[in-house]
Amino acid sequence: MPAETIAPSAGRPALREPLWLRLSLIGGALTFLAIFLLLPLILVFVQALGHGIEAYWDALVEQDAVSAIQLTVLVAAIAVPLNLVFGVAASWCIAKFEFRGKSLLITLIDLPFSVSPVISGMVYVLLFGLNGWLGPWLIDHNIKIIFALPGLVLATIFVTFPFVARELIPLMQEQGTDEEEAAVVLGASGWQVFRRVTLPNIKWGLLYGVLLCNARAMGEFGAVSVVSGHIRGMTNTMPLHVEILYNEYNFVAAFAVASLLALLALVTLVVKSLLEWRYGDELAASARH
Amino acid sequence: MTIEVSNISKRFGNYVALDRVSLEVKSGELLALLGPSGSGKTTLLRIMAGLEYPDSGGLRLFGNDALDRSPRDREVGFVFQHYSLFRHMTVADNVAFGLDVRPRAVRLSKREIRSRVMQLLEMVQLSWVADRYPSQLSGGQRQRVALARALAIEPKVLLLDEPFGALDAKVRKELRRWLRRLHDEMHITSVFVTHDQEEALELADRVVVMSQGRIEQIGTPTEVYDHPATSFVYDFLGNVNRFEVDVHDGVARLPGTTQPFARTHLRGDGAAVAFVRPHDVELARPNGHDVPNTGKVLGIHAVGPSARVEVDLNGIAIEAVMDRERLRDLNLAVGDRCVINLPQISVFGQQEAAE
Repeated sequence: MPAETIAPSAGRPALREPLWLRLSLIGGALTFLAIFLLLPLILVFVQALGHGIEAYWDALVEQDAVSAIQLTVLVAAIAVPLNLVFGVAASWCIAKFEFRGKSLLITLIDLPFSVSPVISGMVYVLLFGLNGWLGPWLIDHNIKIIFALPGLVLATIFVTFPFVARELIPLMQEQGTDEEEAAVVLGASGWQVFRRVTLPNIKWGLLYGVLLCNARAMGEFGAVSVVSGHIRGMTNTMPLHVEILYNEYNFVAAFAVASLLALLALVTLVVKSLLEWRYGDELAASARH
Repeated sequence: MTIEVSNISKRFGNYVALDRVSLEVKSGELLALLGPSGSGKTTLLRIMAGLEYPDSGGLRLFGNDALDRSPRDREVGFVFQHYSLFRHMTVADNVAFGLDVRPRAVRLSKREIRSRVMQLLEMVQLSWVADRYPSQLSGGQRQRVALARALAIEPKVLLLDEPFGALDAKVRKELRRWLRRLHDEMHITSVFVTHDQEEALELADRVVVMSQGRIEQIGTPTEVYDHPATSFVYDFLGNVNRFEVDVHDGVARLPGTTQPFARTHLRGDGAAVAFVRPHDVELARPNGHDVPNTGKVLGIHAVGPSARVEVDLNGIAIEAVMDRERLRDLNLAVGDRCVINLPQISVFGQQEAAE
């Protein structure tokens, strides 16, 4: 009878794969994740704690390590707020106004994503270095940029610039300018429109962008490595410090500092997931995923 | 005059949105800007509010030049097509916004603002949703909140962009009547944009019919409906029969016939367009004599109070509307021959001069 021949296929929709295939695909994906992501992460902590918690702690409070941590936090504390301001300004421009050269500006914002970080570091050396264009003038005026904090901040800003803007542009474009227009007609000034209408509408997207920006700012290696000069206790950030320790076969100390970076990554991931779960509809990134 | 628009033009790239438009809005009137999409009506409204800037021309509000004033200083209330309520604010905060952002020196106290907001929400019959968010409201409720928000700053002019466009038919009719009552109580000069001719004719004191960036006609609903100035207005307003005719010596003929079809004051000979409204088409039974304009009944649709009869005149289908008693008296049936009189016909030449 026709009804009976239809019944089994109704229990198995056309787009469902057989059980063995599903299990092996899921298993394959999980194994891959375990080997390439989870295992290294665990190894970082195993190595770091390999000689006991005391050795771990000593490695973290060692003078050079402390100054590397402080420097990393300081660089991020300068670069991230600046990128927050630049990113919001750039996205506001691009999403809310029409002007000539807009697509050029969007391309420029994306540039750091497509350029190798090493090159962005080298550009600053060429510009501000001893033999660079502005080098002699800077020396005359006793301003140090390369092999000093300003150079690290510049390189970090360059590399992390797109994170905030890339998150906000699609979000602001999708929201359009209707609410801003309404606010202006109701008598709000430009600043009031931004603070009371635009900002509340993008706050979660902004936090999301800042979070990713911060993670990258603290973890950046390439660009920072070129402009740093690797002066211990002076211009070494955490990733650079890890490299030096590793090259000196000081594995416990290297992995101890590395574990801090791994922790940062984990915290970032958790907060990022929380944001996506709670405010997914107010994030441009989750719409893209 | 409340609003004087003189010779305003506006282009977007190669597209001409407004072409030398002049218009005066009288104090206290409810004016409709009516036209199909792309006719420039919304652009004109946005220029009045200061949300667009014209390429050339002038705009005066209450006798003062308005073009050099920013939208925030023009004292206009604007109701957006999609309401544009602030999604992260409650209804009460939305309505209070215009009062909250005033400079400290002229700002009301928090308590005064709150009581004014509640007063406005009561006026739009929505005080019970004061603490909800816009996303929790229906379309009609959002529209009324948008109106209360626009009225909160006590604007001298109220501008509404397709105020009922996004609502379903029943809510639209209710809101339309409600807005008319509100306008009659408040006497605030109002301009609204619509593409719905029924809405414009029912609601407005005067109607401005626009097409392709130009004003076709300005007049009361009766004037524009009964005496359309151009063929566009005839076509756009209401149901109409339209035929191509040849004009020669003040007589219009259907192409390929020798019988006079209608008389016209149109000067010059050549092709022209004739219009007649279905309820101006008179049908009669043939009385035996050979009269011109004898046609054949193609179909009869008698539903509701009026009947629609389709007749064929020399290969052209004409629609006639009459009440059902008249149809019964005529005793017409499909296939019958009948006499077609067109006393109210209007003929427009290529240059669009009225008869």
